[in-house]
Amino acid sequence: MIARAASPRAAPFGRRLLLLALLALFGLLAALHLRLSPQDLIPSRAGLDLALRFFARAWRPALTSEAHFVPEGTPPLLIIGARAAWSTLVFAAAAMGLALPLGLLLGFFASTAWWADRAPVTGGGMSRRWRQVGLPLLYLATRALIAFLRSIHEILWAVLLLAAMGVSELACVLAIALPYAGTLAKIFAELIDEAPRDAALALRLAGATDLQVYFIALVPRAAADLITYSFYRFECALRSAAVLGFFGFPTLGLEIRQSFRSGNYGEVWTFLYLLIAMVATFDLWSGAIRRRLTR
Amino acid sequence: MSAARDRQIDALRRRRPRDRLLRGSVALLLCACAGAWLFGGFDFADAWSPRRLANLARFAREVVPFPLQGQPFDPAVAWHWLTGILLDHGLSAMLATLAIAIVAIDLALLVATPLAVAAASNVTSPRPFSIGGPAPRGQAVAARLLVELARGALICLRSLPEYVLAFLLIAVLGPSPWPLVLALACHNAGILGRLLAEVVENVDERPLRALTAAGATRLQVVACGVTPLVLPRALLFFCYRFESCIRDATVLGMLSVSSLGYWIDEYRTRMQYDDFVLMILLGSLLVFCGDLGSAWLRSSVRRAT
Repeated sequence: MIARAASPRAAPFGRRLLLLALLALFGLLAALHLRLSPQDLIPSRAGLDLALRFFARAWRPALTSEAHFVPEGTPPLLIIGARAAWSTLVFAAAAMGLALPLGLLLGFFASTAWWADRAPVTGGGMSRRWRQVGLPLLYLATRALIAFLRSIHEILWAVLLLAAMGVSELACVLAIALPYAGTLAKIFAELIDEAPRDAALALRLAGATDLQVYFIALVPRAAADLITYSFYRFECALRSAAVLGFFGFPTLGLEIRQSFRSGNYGEVWTFLYLLIAMVATFDLWSGAIRRRLTR
Repeated sequence: MSAARDRQIDALRRRRPRDRLLRGSVALLLCACAGAWLFGGFDFADAWSPRRLANLARFAREVVPFPLQGQPFDPAVAWHWLTGILLDHGLSAMLATLAIAIVAIDLALLVATPLAVAAASNVTSPRPFSIGGPAPRGQAVAARLLVELARGALICLRSLPEYVLAFLLIAVLGPSPWPLVLALACHNAGILGRLLAEVVENVDERPLRALTAAGATRLQVVACGVTPLVLPRALLFFCYRFESCIRDATVLGMLSVSSLGYWIDEYRTRMQYDDFVLMILLGSLLVFCGDLGSAWLRSSVRRAT
């Protein structure tokens, strides 16, 4: 007698096709709700004129200032652009310098790998009550804090901090650092939880405490992914720092906004190309790092 | 005996592969972060000056809802204030923000999928999935060119922040939801495309070789072989970008009329800080709802496979 394995009842249309159909359906419903019509895609005469003038300058970015009147002592355009790019880099680095330690700390408390293991508890450790009640509560509280930090976009943080603190460089750095710390903490905790726990088990059986297990066995196993993600976050910080310039901070966004409002579209393209070059360079560098790490 | 073992471990440790680019890059990054704080010319002492602290105190007072300012806390009054704002424009703004995010991520997926397949060097090659030995030089070069073009397009789409793109499109198209949708769709198409291309390149090639040996064309292999293999990861990236789209849609509304961001900017200009903070928290709530939706979606697909 041949034993036949019970075959699961296959749905007539797979769950995956249903998923695609759902996505398309929600997209259509959302478009209808917003009353999106193809007519709105046709720019008005003034808009078309502006678009043509703007995109015509894409091939000829300005190398010197295009303003009719340039005050005495104004540095050349490329120096202004270089300074703004440098300032963008400095703001991004400062924000990451705050976000990385904070993210590591929050990630430690948001990770379950160092206290939720079922490996035998060999003396040296915490009391049972702390392990069963205190730590899970701390874990949940940290997760809630991380979710809150992440849910507010860095531009909204900037607007909030500007309203609370006035125009200050600290507002820009905090506005990027707070949500990034939340994101870094969440991803770090997930990477550490998903890393192989062979070393952790070996150390625990040899009698290590939880902290030792975390720093010696768990973090190094996940270090490659942690580094890769940190580089990616730095690139995002560069973009965010540039965009926050639209709100008055001295980065590339400020120059872009001012040149656009003055109608000097060649200058806008110069700064845009600077921004794209900065981000693309960083992207290629972090890509090379990632390839080395995952070899 | 243990001394010999220690010497063995030491020898192994000295011979471990050390990558100079990696170490240099990590060191450079950490130095940059520390250096920015030490030498960046920030004047943080100014942030704690008495004038700024007084501002902070004033802000904290004004965040309290207007009907409750200076009065004992009354839940009924607070509830009345809250529902007033929600029914007036809060809920419709939240719905509009969600709708913008959904349309944008759908468009992004639509654009990203063909670009990702074109940018995956194991699919776009004269000998896909490493079957059949080296290809003629001309075909290999053409395929490589196509891959680099697709990757370049993805990098370009990705490098421009969506805020800048929306700013430019609003100047051209005027105050409709389209600039926000298009800006978000372009940026996320670049990101999704790059993530998907990586996943496709890392996929296990053996089932795909079997399909190709059975006579499937490249397109058939992608549709029927690659898609089920990459679906869990692709869904994860999709949900991650959807959540990001919701946050960005909230913020882009500050440039135009269509979403929560418009009201945030409106209240900020009028200095009604209580409504201002409420709108920001509503945006936060929307992100949580998006998170829950994503978690449900991913778990339902996981249960089906």
